[in-house]
Amino acid sequence: MHISEGVLSGPVLVAGAAVALAGTAAGLKKLELDRVAQAGMLSAAFFVASLIHVPVGPSSVHLILNGIVGLLLGWAAFPAILTALLLQAMMFQYGGITTLGVNTVIMALPAVVCYHLFGPFVLKPSRVAVPAAFACGAGSVLMGAVLAGVSLMFTEGSFLEVAGLVVTAHLPVMVIEGVVTVFCVAFLKKVKPEMLPGYDAAVLQRTKN
Amino acid sequence: MKRLLTGLALAWLCCFAVLPAAHAHKVTVFAWAEGDRVFTESKFSGGKMVKAGKIDVFDSSGNLLLEGRTDDNGAFDFKAPEITDLKIVLTAGMGHQNSWLLSAAELGEGEPMPVATPDTRSEPVVLETPQEKVTPEALPGLTAREIEAIVSRQLEQKITPLTRMVAASQEKGPTLSDIFGGIGYIIGLVGLGAYVRYRKDSRRS
Repeated sequence: MHISEGVLSGPVLVAGAAVALAGTAAGLKKLELDRVAQAGMLSAAFFVASLIHVPVGPSSVHLILNGIVGLLLGWAAFPAILTALLLQAMMFQYGGITTLGVNTVIMALPAVVCYHLFGPFVLKPSRVAVPAAFACGAGSVLMGAVLAGVSLMFTEGSFLEVAGLVVTAHLPVMVIEGVVTVFCVAFLKKVKPEMLPGYDAAVLQRTKN
Repeated sequence: MKRLLTGLALAWLCCFAVLPAAHAHKVTVFAWAEGDRVFTESKFSGGKMVKAGKIDVFDSSGNLLLEGRTDDNGAFDFKAPEITDLKIVLTAGMGHQNSWLLSAAELGEGEPMPVATPDTRSEPVVLETPQEKVTPEALPGLTAREIEAIVSRQLEQKITPLTRMVAASQEKGPTLSDIFGGIGYIIGLVGLGAYVRYRKDSRRS
């Protein structure tokens, strides 16, 4: 899902950089200083996750983990993912410096969207929480693939064709990430539920009952 | 907390267990010249070859000279249409692209000049030995230019395996030091965040 240098047109790059900048600013503003360490850990996890690859057809795709990063960080996923992507571009030459903005948006925006969509459900009983966690992990990859298709369509032809290709290639990753997210959520629920979104609300409700 | 740490440590170990088999998410193209033929090799880092990747060849002023697709081994070769700096661009789909610059000097510098003996014009890859054929009969009449051509052809043959070795070692994927370096940066940034936080706290108090 890392788009290389020289593939995208100028306006797409500029738009991507602008959105990434706005998202990062919002994320840094919302990131309480107590959670900086958590953001750093998740940033590191995201940084390493890209090294775990699943060979698919002519290409190969890798774990992204943007679903779990978004779920645990909310808007702070933007700075966390931006940092990890910058380091990946520098260390592994994945993606590139000019495409950093676009790549950040492709992976961080779905993370934030999934946080708002599925975050409120992960502390509910497991018949609700498990599908929500799966949808969060799989959905953020799906949305990322669609966003990658959108950014590529200006240079690589029709949207449906490009997006279809990217989405199909990422189907296995979606399943894997969905499962990973389910396990992460189940694990955190037992060990450290205060890391999950909506914890304060759930505690409040329990004390009321 | 202890269980959390154990879990994280396990996840960590799993990452490294998977690493050696991983294919990196990046493409590279490598090109070298043998005489006026240009050979290219395209792969995803980690060694998986790019099948049916699109190769575009541009000259130094950016004009498209020719295009083609890589075969199942990620290879594509063509005869250089002119002796100029070539920019070989590989597009492997889904936003993967990379390029390689092949200078005119690499493209067989001696090639454009006419070579007198038919032997020196034959395919460079053929392993016939020109010393036996050419040298005994033609030695007295050899011009400096012909000798140069023979030497450069021999040299090319000797160098070809080396070139392939370089091509093979071009892409080794991220090393452990890259990975730990990146994680170190992130830890450093977290430390910076913590520092800012405590400075604020100590100022307030």
